[in-house]
Amino acid sequence: MIQITDEILNKYLDGELSREDTEQVKSALLNSDEIRRKFSALKLVHTKLSSLKEDEVSPSFTQNLMIQIIKKSSVPRQQKYFIVSVATFITLLCLVIFGFSISAVISATPSSIGDSKSVFDSFSNLSEGLVKSIKQLFSGAGLSIICSIFSIIVLISGYFFFEMQKRAKASLSNGQQL
Amino acid sequence: MRNLSDQEIIDSVRKGNDSDYSIIVNRYKNKAFSMLKRMLKNEFESEEVLQDCFLKVYNSLNTFKGEAKFSTWFYRIVYNTALTRLSSQKRKTETEMTSVEDHFNLESEYRSDEIEKKDVNQLIHDTISKLPERYSAVITMFYLNEMRIEEISEVMGISVSNVKVMLHRSRNSLRDLILNSRLAKELI
Repeated sequence: MIQITDEILNKYLDGELSREDTEQVKSALLNSDEIRRKFSALKLVHTKLSSLKEDEVSPSFTQNLMIQIIKKSSVPRQQKYFIVSVATFITLLCLVIFGFSISAVISATPSSIGDSKSVFDSFSNLSEGLVKSIKQLFSGAGLSIICSIFSIIVLISGYFFFEMQKRAKASLSNGQQL
Repeated sequence: MRNLSDQEIIDSVRKGNDSDYSIIVNRYKNKAFSMLKRMLKNEFESEEVLQDCFLKVYNSLNTFKGEAKFSTWFYRIVYNTALTRLSSQKRKTETEMTSVEDHFNLESEYRSDEIEKKDVNQLIHDTISKLPERYSAVITMFYLNEMRIEEISEVMGISVSNVKVMLHRSRNSLRDLILNSRLAKELI
């Protein structure tokens, strides 16, 4: 015979007892006023708890949250676009310089590649020509032009970068205030 | 429109449809708020913490592998954030207590005439908030969020038997409160 404790009554309420124990609890409920009283109160608590209603957040909760989320997610996207555009610009500039050097080499080395000289010689001629034309490009007026272009790019990039950081900070603080 | 599953919505958000996250927010906001309100005992603070939780969940969506149910993962974040908030405020928290063997006496929370004045619904509603934080979390998850004991144990990081002990103890306290009031004569 099991002892009808509070734990047993809770398990009976949740249907967690074995068939044999369930029968014993049923018979105890029939024979004892005290156990019946305790179980009725427990069942009442269970019923009332089962009908609990949800609390509701303020009506603008979702809207405010989504504004924050969209603002936050747009900041890294802007940074990504910025980095990609700067990288593309620098790559294009390098390609232009490289293309210019190659064309200068080709025009400076006439028909020597087509002669009976070995592939090694023609390759060394080509590389010598490339170095020469790069030297020409990076000396005197050529160097100052390239430096000026890079300085302008750095200045423009710096300006846009700081502006973007400022905007990002402002939008984050606005989002936190919401 | 068909009711999308949590996983389908998460996949859509991961693909860049940020606005779909509002479906998740609307689905869980009131349930999580009810839990936080009973744990933190403060409506304004609960809404603030809930907002933090949703932002945390959004930022961690890529780390959600789908091994557990989204709801379990979400409520674990909510529960842990609430505990962190409670401990940071140096409130008397359950985490400071040694185990679920700790005692609490709800009757000492009320003057006898206070209980007499309340009806049973109001009494139960008010009393859940007077339970220790972890106990009110168990009650909310079990009854309001209709979560299984196993899920609750996963959320709270404790054993199934400990969850049952907490659930039974909370019910017994509420029962004793009713039995010792005039409500017992009217209702039982």
